[in-house]
Amino acid sequence: MKQTFNHVQFLLAFLSVFLLVPLTGCWSSHEIEERSLGVGVALDKGKESMIEKEFDEQGGGYARKNLITSTYQLITPQVASSTTKQGGPQQKSYVNVSETGDSAFQMLRELSLRSDTPLTSPHMKVMVIGEALARSYSLEQLVDQSLRDNDFRPSCLMFISKGRASDTLESKTAGEIPAFRLSAMVENAYRTTRILPPIPLIKLESKIQSRSSFLLQNVVSANGEIKFAGAGIIKGKTNKMIGFLNEEELDGLTWITGKGKGGLVKSFDKKTGQLIVYEIESMKSHIQPHVKGNNISFDVHIESVGRLSESWMTSGSSFNNQFLQNAQKTSEKKVKHLVRNVLEKMQTKYKVDVAGFGNQLRIKRPRVWMRVKDNWDQTFSEVPINYDVKLTIKDYGASGSKKYAPDYNFVYLYVKNEKIPPKKYSSHASYGALNK
Amino acid sequence: MKGSELWVMINSNDRITTPQATVVVINFILGTGILTLPRTVAEQVKTPDVWLSVILGGIIAMIAGVIMVKLSQRFPEKTFYQYSQEIVGKWIGKLFSFFIIGYFLVLGGFHVRSLAEVTGYLLLEGTPKWAIIMPFMWASLYLIRGGINPIARLFEIILPITVILFLLVAFMSIKIFEVDNLRPVLGSGITPVLKGIKTTALAFTGPEIMLIILAFMKEPHKAGKAVLVGITIPLFIYVITVVMVIGALSVDGVVTRTWPTLDLIRSFELTGLIFERFDSLLLVVWIMQMFTSFTVNHYAASLGLSQLFQKNIHPFMYGVLPVIYLISMIPKNINDVFKVGDMVGNAALVLFGFLPLLLLIISKVKGRKYETNL
Amino acid sequence: MKVKKWRSTVKKIGNHANEKENKQEFTPQNSSNHVTDHLSLTLKVVKNEIGHNSDVHFREFIIGRTGIQAAIIFVEGLSDKDLIEKHILSSLMADFSKEYQQDQLYVKESLSKQFIKSQVLSISDVEEVHSIKEVTSKVLTGSTALLIDGLSPALILGTSKVKTRTIEEPVSEALVRGPRVGFTESLSDNTSLLRGSGDIENLSLVKFQVGKRSKKDLIVAYIKEIVDPKLVEEVEKRIKKIDLDNVPESGYVEQLIEDNYLSPFPQVQNTERPDRVIAALMEGRVAILLDGTPFALIAPVTFSMMLQSPEDYYERWIPGTFIRFLRYIAVVLSLFTPALYIAFISFHPGLIPTKLAISIIGSRSGVPFPALIEALFMELSIEILREAGLRLPKPIGPAMGIVGGLIIGEAAVQAGIVSPILVIVVALTAISSFSIPQYSVGITLRILRFVAMLCAAILGLYGVILFFLFMMSHLVKLKSFGVPYMSPAVPYRLREWKDLVARMPLMMMKRRPKMMHTKDPLRKG
Repeated sequence: MKQTFNHVQFLLAFLSVFLLVPLTGCWSSHEIEERSLGVGVALDKGKESMIEKEFDEQGGGYARKNLITSTYQLITPQVASSTTKQGGPQQKSYVNVSETGDSAFQMLRELSLRSDTPLTSPHMKVMVIGEALARSYSLEQLVDQSLRDNDFRPSCLMFISKGRASDTLESKTAGEIPAFRLSAMVENAYRTTRILPPIPLIKLESKIQSRSSFLLQNVVSANGEIKFAGAGIIKGKTNKMIGFLNEEELDGLTWITGKGKGGLVKSFDKKTGQLIVYEIESMKSHIQPHVKGNNISFDVHIESVGRLSESWMTSGSSFNNQFLQNAQKTSEKKVKHLVRNVLEKMQTKYKVDVAGFGNQLRIKRPRVWMRVKDNWDQTFSEVPINYDVKLTIKDYGASGSKKYAPDYNFVYLYVKNEKIPPKKYSSHASYGALNK
Repeated sequence: MKGSELWVMINSNDRITTPQATVVVINFILGTGILTLPRTVAEQVKTPDVWLSVILGGIIAMIAGVIMVKLSQRFPEKTFYQYSQEIVGKWIGKLFSFFIIGYFLVLGGFHVRSLAEVTGYLLLEGTPKWAIIMPFMWASLYLIRGGINPIARLFEIILPITVILFLLVAFMSIKIFEVDNLRPVLGSGITPVLKGIKTTALAFTGPEIMLIILAFMKEPHKAGKAVLVGITIPLFIYVITVVMVIGALSVDGVVTRTWPTLDLIRSFELTGLIFERFDSLLLVVWIMQMFTSFTVNHYAASLGLSQLFQKNIHPFMYGVLPVIYLISMIPKNINDVFKVGDMVGNAALVLFGFLPLLLLIISKVKGRKYETNL
Repeated sequence: MKVKKWRSTVKKIGNHANEKENKQEFTPQNSSNHVTDHLSLTLKVVKNEIGHNSDVHFREFIIGRTGIQAAIIFVEGLSDKDLIEKHILSSLMADFSKEYQQDQLYVKESLSKQFIKSQVLSISDVEEVHSIKEVTSKVLTGSTALLIDGLSPALILGTSKVKTRTIEEPVSEALVRGPRVGFTESLSDNTSLLRGSGDIENLSLVKFQVGKRSKKDLIVAYIKEIVDPKLVEEVEKRIKKIDLDNVPESGYVEQLIEDNYLSPFPQVQNTERPDRVIAALMEGRVAILLDGTPFALIAPVTFSMMLQSPEDYYERWIPGTFIRFLRYIAVVLSLFTPALYIAFISFHPGLIPTKLAISIIGSRSGVPFPALIEALFMELSIEILREAGLRLPKPIGPAMGIVGGLIIGEAAVQAGIVSPILVIVVALTAISSFSIPQYSVGITLRILRFVAMLCAAILGLYGVILFFLFMMSHLVKLKSFGVPYMSPAVPYRLREWKDLVARMPLMMMKRRPKMMHTKDPLRKG
């Protein structure tokens, strides 16, 4: 389309006038180095920090109830530049700032009164909620601001901490940023059954809204070191924390849900009392609800395939299937024990369903679920649950049997090749696994 | 008739091919629905069977689309604004055209306002709304000055980009996808699914543009195929959206979120993969889709006004902009914006659900009368 | 409207002035525009016109023993002296009186031009002219004028020999694989290159003259059987409209015949390579060659052509496809990288990976300028460096470019003016823009890059998206001689895509592009 000269002139004049307008301000433009990146938040029961007390004394307080203490882990420009300059980080790679008050949003904005590089939250990785706070306030209230915020990403991972949450955001190792450490640790789920699948903020929201009980990974801290220690139980109706499952119970729970990606089962042989360790390569579990009239019951069928990873048995050759079956039985027993423990805790002590039984009922018997869902936790605590476990050891690594009988505390001996048919309690040499 | 000279002037060189017509329909349908559909439907259906609702809604839209095509095919080379007067007489026809023009204007305002809201929320906090809306409208003006052909061509370029980016981003969300959130299928029967149909069918508003662009097609007899394909592709996209969003967020989670799809994309991070965060991609897709929808609104309204008043289209292209801007500024808060969207949807139901059927019947009856009179 | 009026009055004044000038040429003395029988008279007029030039020579002599006076006029340097001496003068001064008297048209004391032309002159190119103006103009372009007493028309003998370069590889379009042949400044050399590369059926070369004062030859080339006749008509129409004193380079022609002079994108392609021209002709396009420049024009052109290089076709299809992909990525990079940098750093730090954000913050802490100023500063320096590199003499040029780039980048980082990330961004951009085969488009993208940066600085990522939409809208509306600029991408025609992003095997590319509306759709064979 041919532009006539008139048209063009008009457009040019119009353009030149209007181009002046944006010069007055690029409204949303904030240079990246003028802000601090918030990478982690810890929420605790209100306890003013030293600095805040001093501010208060000097009249720097404001109308608030000291309900919550938020500790923000920031990467300030100074800290960032020290970590990126050559020579490696010399001092701490992060800054923790605490603020006490009653509104999450207000506390956030109060930070602008304390720093020239205010917090910006699009890079939040973790949020840790302290036990005391979780027991007193509903989670829904605590995370409400984060859910509304446009900066705060719903991918932020949620944790509970025993003790003060702000302690989990401390680290004594130079160059380590606690928030990153936490968020990367959940990746270890393929190595152990004692880690819950990671729960980003958005899934937390879904669970809260569904009013069913659930678990949040628990973190304990000591001296700048942290450990994943079981899970905190959140009751669906109130969204408050009511207790903990310890590591082993969490282990059992993972077996029930079948969501484990790796891990181990440590058990002791009945006869000799010695250690056998079964390494999980894959597991699955099938929860089948049965409804007879008004009676609901569940069958849990757990299966797993793995290998024999460690054996302190001084006798017995893994080349022998009998030995393997023995090991399997021992491990199965242990799993059953774990499951029984956790079921007991769920049904008797806390009266919550955090293993997803309700969910399975919802999927398989939606009409029954409609009837019972409002009071499910209570109903669940009275429901009989049967379970069976089946483990299969499919290999045992590179080491076979023991050469010498009793007395030895050594785990294994790698013996040279002599072809001799293996016998139970044999003390002969064995060949390497490759020859089998 | 004076009008005929004018529309000959507009239409004769400006033809689009059948694939182009399909692309226009697709781009016009895809709009705010991508972001809000999971929530609006889940609110009605309340079970994970939302995707079934979407499919059924799409089928209904296809039926409506075919009706509109059949109606327009009876009047080759004439847009709705012109042939409506032929069917029901000058004044009623003009009235109908007015309603449709009004629909396009309000829809344009709605589109532009939603764009400003989401962009202001996610990208440009602090930028005044007019600074977001005005350059957008000028870009649209620049495009439609070329007629329908450049519009169709631009849409043809934008569509593959948006589809590829969208599919990429949607499938990356498998990381947080849980199949269990979508089960049980039809657990509560078919009734909830049917409840959601009204909302989903309205998500497919877009084929009504066939009432106008059929006049520009090189091969109008293929318009039926164009409309069917043009609805099927958004159908796929919507189903994928709904499945992924509900799979990750579950029905309970979805109903509380304002923009569930955005939340879906923001809730996972693939560390190490160039952009760790992919909501920028989704926003690019969405902004371009809003642009295409808005451009169609703009053009359809300007064309309507020009054919109604039988003047050149250019002044109307300029004049319509302030009107749309004022309309977009009317809703006071975001709830009002959604209400406008609902209102527009209901209007679409009447204007493009019942009206074309009515007109088709009338014109068929008239046609038969004419034949019998011979 | 006022503008139009103003322009038309200006034009009127101009025409008026032109007329006045023309009038002055007509000295009222003789009807001196015509070549007359009288040699001395004609000579006098011609000497009046161009005799003052030091390189115009007049050689009077007597034609071979017939006693008739004659003279030749030629320009030293432009005409082939060898030809004049050996063939013209010697053949005219030889003794042919016998044959002459036996000639049928023998008229005493005058020679018939027929005799001269057919029996005497051993020159291949002989033309008759009647006006003094033509005589002078031909002489000044290297031909020799032969004036014979008693013979009315003057004879123009084609003896022009312009010194030209040897044929060498074009500097601006070097390939790894392909003929190392480029056009030269001589039109006849160029046409010979076109004809010489295989006997092309139906290759038509049509001559025009452009430029009012300095008349240059312009040739429109097309393959008659393939090309759309409407296209040829349009091209010729536009060429005829060219109204300039002097057309020194094909760039002038390009600017005067293109569809939209306001668009930043070139709508006519220029090339130094004959193989590119021939490939284009085979697709049904039209080529324009201008005397005095090695750059030939190809019209119409589409955007995808700008990103193609003949090498794509000479290599096999897999490397060809891969390199094509690379080029498209390079285009996107060169256009958007600085803009995206500004958008992400100033507006959306949340959209970049966390570790990257931290390192950017760290490296930018000491930088005093906001991202836009930083980026503008670096980009402008690179552009200035690039221009400087072109002007510098050959030995220094490339070294300066590299050294300058590295040093400026490094020094700027050390001085704390820019951040290291920006240096990478700018380097990436510069390298990407070098990989675009067509220089004109490279310049366009460089300019648009700045616009994109400004848009990003005002509205962040949204601004970049709007810029993209604006640019695409423009491209989609643009037409080059009736062919939409964005073909064959749009409108969708699946068959056309074989040569678009990928380069499908030659076996599959049997048809000519449909957008050219060619008469013969199948490539033979």
